[in-house]
Amino acid sequence: MKPVNFDYAAPESVADAIRLLVEARGEAKIIAGGQSLLPLLNMRMARPSLLVDLARIPGLDEVRLSDGWLEIGAMTRHAVVEAHPLVRRHAPLLAAAASFVAHHQVRNRGTIGGSTAHADPAAEEPLALLALDSELIAEGPDGAAKWPIGAFFRGPMTTALADAQVLVKLRVPCRGPSEGWAFREISRRRGDLALAAVAVWLRREDGICRDLRVALGGVADRPVRAKAAEAALRGCAWEPQIVDKTPALLEADIAPGSDVHATADYRRAVARELLVHALNEAWERVGELSPHC
Amino acid sequence: MANPPYKWISQRVRVREDRRFLTGQGRYVGDIRLAGMLEVAVLASPYAHALIKSIDVEDAIKQPGVVLAITGADLARDTDPIPQFLDLPRVRWYSLATDRVRFAGEGVAAVVATSRAAAEDALDFIKVEYEPLPALADPEAAMAPGAPVLHPDHGSNIAWQGAWTWGDVDGDFRRADRVVKTRLRWSRHSGVPLETFGTVAAWNSRLELLDVWASHQAPALSAQISTVLRFPSNRIRIHADLDVGGSYGAKRGQKQIALTTYLAMRTRRPLRYLEDRLENMAAGDGHGPDRVFDAELALSRTGECLSLRLHTVDDVGAYVGRGPLQIAKCITAIVGPYRIGSVRYSGLAVMTNKTNQNPYRGFGQSPHNFVLERLMDMAATELGLDRVEIRRRNLIPPEAFPYLIPSGSRYDSGDYPAVLDKALALAAYPNLLRFQAEARSQGRCIGIGIAACIEPSGANTAFFALMNPKHKTSLVPEGARVGVDSRGKITVAIGFASTGQSHETMVSQVIAEVMDIAPEEVAVIRADSLAGIPSVPPTGSRMSLMLSGAVLGAAQKILAKMKRIAAHNLGVDPETVEYAGGVFRRKDGSGAGLAFAEVALIAHTRKHQMPPDMEGGLSELYVMEVPGGGHLPDVAGRMQSYPAYTFSVHIPVVEVNPRTGEVRFLDYFAAHDCGTPIHPDIVEGMVYGGIAQGIGAALFEKFVYAEDGQFLSSTFMDYLLPSANEIPPIKMVEHVTPGPHHPFGAKGTAEGGYLTAPAAVASAVEDALSPLGVRVTELPMTPALLLALIGNGRRR
Ligand SMILES: Cc1cc2nc3c(=O)[nH]c(=O)nc-3n(C[C@H](O)[C@H](O)[C@H](O)COP(=O)(O)OP(=O)(O)OC[C@H]3O[C@@H](n4cnc5c(N)ncnc54)[C@H](O)[C@@H]3O)c2cc1C
Repeated sequence: MKPVNFDYAAPESVADAIRLLVEARGEAKIIAGGQSLLPLLNMRMARPSLLVDLARIPGLDEVRLSDGWLEIGAMTRHAVVEAHPLVRRHAPLLAAAASFVAHHQVRNRGTIGGSTAHADPAAEEPLALLALDSELIAEGPDGAAKWPIGAFFRGPMTTALADAQVLVKLRVPCRGPSEGWAFREISRRRGDLALAAVAVWLRREDGICRDLRVALGGVADRPVRAKAAEAALRGCAWEPQIVDKTPALLEADIAPGSDVHATADYRRAVARELLVHALNEAWERVGELSPHC
Repeated sequence: MANPPYKWISQRVRVREDRRFLTGQGRYVGDIRLAGMLEVAVLASPYAHALIKSIDVEDAIKQPGVVLAITGADLARDTDPIPQFLDLPRVRWYSLATDRVRFAGEGVAAVVATSRAAAEDALDFIKVEYEPLPALADPEAAMAPGAPVLHPDHGSNIAWQGAWTWGDVDGDFRRADRVVKTRLRWSRHSGVPLETFGTVAAWNSRLELLDVWASHQAPALSAQISTVLRFPSNRIRIHADLDVGGSYGAKRGQKQIALTTYLAMRTRRPLRYLEDRLENMAAGDGHGPDRVFDAELALSRTGECLSLRLHTVDDVGAYVGRGPLQIAKCITAIVGPYRIGSVRYSGLAVMTNKTNQNPYRGFGQSPHNFVLERLMDMAATELGLDRVEIRRRNLIPPEAFPYLIPSGSRYDSGDYPAVLDKALALAAYPNLLRFQAEARSQGRCIGIGIAACIEPSGANTAFFALMNPKHKTSLVPEGARVGVDSRGKITVAIGFASTGQSHETMVSQVIAEVMDIAPEEVAVIRADSLAGIPSVPPTGSRMSLMLSGAVLGAAQKILAKMKRIAAHNLGVDPETVEYAGGVFRRKDGSGAGLAFAEVALIAHTRKHQMPPDMEGGLSELYVMEVPGGGHLPDVAGRMQSYPAYTFSVHIPVVEVNPRTGEVRFLDYFAAHDCGTPIHPDIVEGMVYGGIAQGIGAALFEKFVYAEDGQFLSSTFMDYLLPSANEIPPIKMVEHVTPGPHHPFGAKGTAEGGYLTAPAAVASAVEDALSPLGVRVTELPMTPALLLALIGNGRRR
């Protein structure tokens, strides 16, 4: 478990990082917090000739508000996403999701950009980003690029990022007054990747569910939206008969697999179970104030 | 019986080992740095079963930093096969595969280089041509006619089979009112120490001997190395001044040590082979028992256990280390804490395409106890009896000790009903039942587990002969040397490395008690294998009995000698002299005394003041032997095995979410009787740690192999150890029935937590889900397994 020999560079600008990546002709890897990459290096499943470390680039870990959007730098650590007052206030769903990632040590090093670029189908932050309809911004040799999150994940550990593109920022719409959210997860142990996880965002006005997005993790090759369940609830009054029927609507939107931790049947069953709880929790939460800290 | 008053025994004195661990001064194999030390990497087979058609290391040797590259052919030429513990002359085991690989991850070549990274780089240049063969990952499939055979010269995959009958089993089953019968599955898991297995070996040309540091817990290691290398054992020096980062029985490392010492002898350079996690998990030979049980219990209408029939198929892996002998250990306590009149026990050890099985905490006693306790719960259900009541009716009563069990061991002492009562009281059992009933009426699945357990301690391995008649071990000694220097300062030398059990503290307590000094004043060192201290490392919960016995014996020899010197100088008969408070004086208190240090000075420097014919100096070795040992099994397979029997009762309380299969602990109660606890903190640590491992076994841990033999649990993302989040606070109560075989009344205590917890947690989970028709017959009880069982129960 020793990595192959590689060179290491810690550029101080995104432009330099891109130049180094281009010069390496696909042989380089970006390193952010290293929490997913290092095991891959040590097991020699990744054999880059060069690591380009983003840690010294100023501003990449900034969290700020901009025109009704919360902008989070790609190098923002999970622990910061979890605790940052702006995130907790304007994107509490994302802060909650971050608290489910691993343990303190990993959250202190791992980054939201790394988790998004790594695209583990059972990772928590991507789910929250999906439920919140976020945007991702990258820079590359051909300039800046932007994706709605729904167009970013392409499969397990596969994204829309091209070689030499650096994810720099995530943009999350700020929480509005009549919005509710919930995050629920089942994992083998606390801090493990999700066997199944559900992130819900919804807008409730006059007893009607005006809009909602439900994202599911661990039950497909990427984070997915529960489209059929969303359609059944969108524009409806919140009746238990309708909510309780949503689990049956998941089938078309998920395709869980089996592994040493759980069978596909299990993942399917608990995704259904989590869904109703998460929906009702999000519904109840509308109007509840976000923590200011 | 009241606890006899001791000054240092049973006291919570400072645990002297803690300091070095807490200040980062533990010294592990990874900390040993010898000048010019090389590192070893091993090329692992990607196939579970394949013939090696060709293998070429020429290009690897040319890589930067590489000193040597070898294959199994080198070992087959230069060494003897690694000794196995069953009599299998046609199963030849080498550190590297020779003509065939038998599990995914098995080593096929090794590279020695200036760094581990350089050695791993060179592995990429080794060319191996394999011819894949069908693989076996299931022991019952491996027994089937026509199954591929791992060792064609041996002729079948069955490494051993045997059966014993003690008492009138058939008659008892005929007379029974009720027979409960079940098939149970105990999955492969193990101790999985944080420190992987490592060895440093160096040819010492100055002394002309081979120096070895290994993170091991292996009895007779020098003899093994000597056999493999065909090199005299008195020129192999195994250092014991080393901390071993966890073992729990699994750290035997036979092939790893054989490989490292061979490479050191061949290169004549110091080198280290330290497994990485992948190697340790997939190929470290550290997996525990992996068994299928068919069990039947014959009962009377009133729930009296009459007879037990038990058959086990144990998946021992590709070669035979010490693991399979675990099948026979339970014969030591085959009936657990219950009066069961007759037993038939049979089993098979089957070889499959997996890494070797090795001992794990309790040497097979935990799966055995799981079987007994599952049967008790089943019997209670089928007879409509309370689960506590059926156990109470069958517990061996205190007046029956010493109690002879059908397989020949005599349990030394105990008061099982008293311990059960303490556990029930600690748990406030009637309140628990009320709480459960109330919660059930609200649809919650609350379960109360109950399991009792015998922990045989003191390690008498005479039972090895039951599985291998050539294995005639009727002596399992432990030695300690106590020396008093000319200043009267005491040093104790012990002969094995620390695997974390605080033996140095125990040694200092025993000396303090006998010599009437403070424990801090005692020095404890760990002598190497050439220092002449017979030792079998910590196995079978033996050290509290055996090491303390050895230290006590040596200290008493010293004291007797010092009394004679004192008497000689006081001009009185030695019989009239006593020692207390650092002074030898006459028992009647009259006359002057002689201080301990003065006597020591005489013994070292003043021949003219010593009794004539007395040897100079103060240095005594005492070798403790297992009480009641010294015999091999009789023709019926009966023997007095382990000498001292510890008892425990666990009552975990869980809640299971019937819609997700998740298990959450609400409480965990344990009552425990290990005789006189030498150090209560250490006893508690042992029990807590054991329970944590038992919870791991019950809910999380399993080495998973795919049907094609690929290993799926090679990292801690796939093999789940419980963390502090998963282990509930444990409430514990002690009971003390002093052990008759030990001067302070001690018994062993290192295994009981792990022996009891899997059965207890299974009982709790089954109780929680019993309204849903769930029977627990398999561990670990993963959420997916439980949800499937709940689904099946509902359908029934
Ligand atoms: C013990 C443990 C437990 C874990 N448990 C969880 C868990 O429960 N849930 C969970 O979601 N995750 C978990 N993780 C993974 C963790 O969240 C990682 O931090 C995260 O997946 C990757 O972030 P990173 O910053 O460490 O990225 P790195 O490991 O440095 O990189 C990961 C990948 O992303 C690429 N990359 C990183 N940053 C960028 C960028 N800005 N632009 C383009 N590409 C980039 C890298 O090239 C690499 O391919 C766990 C990790 C460990 C070690």
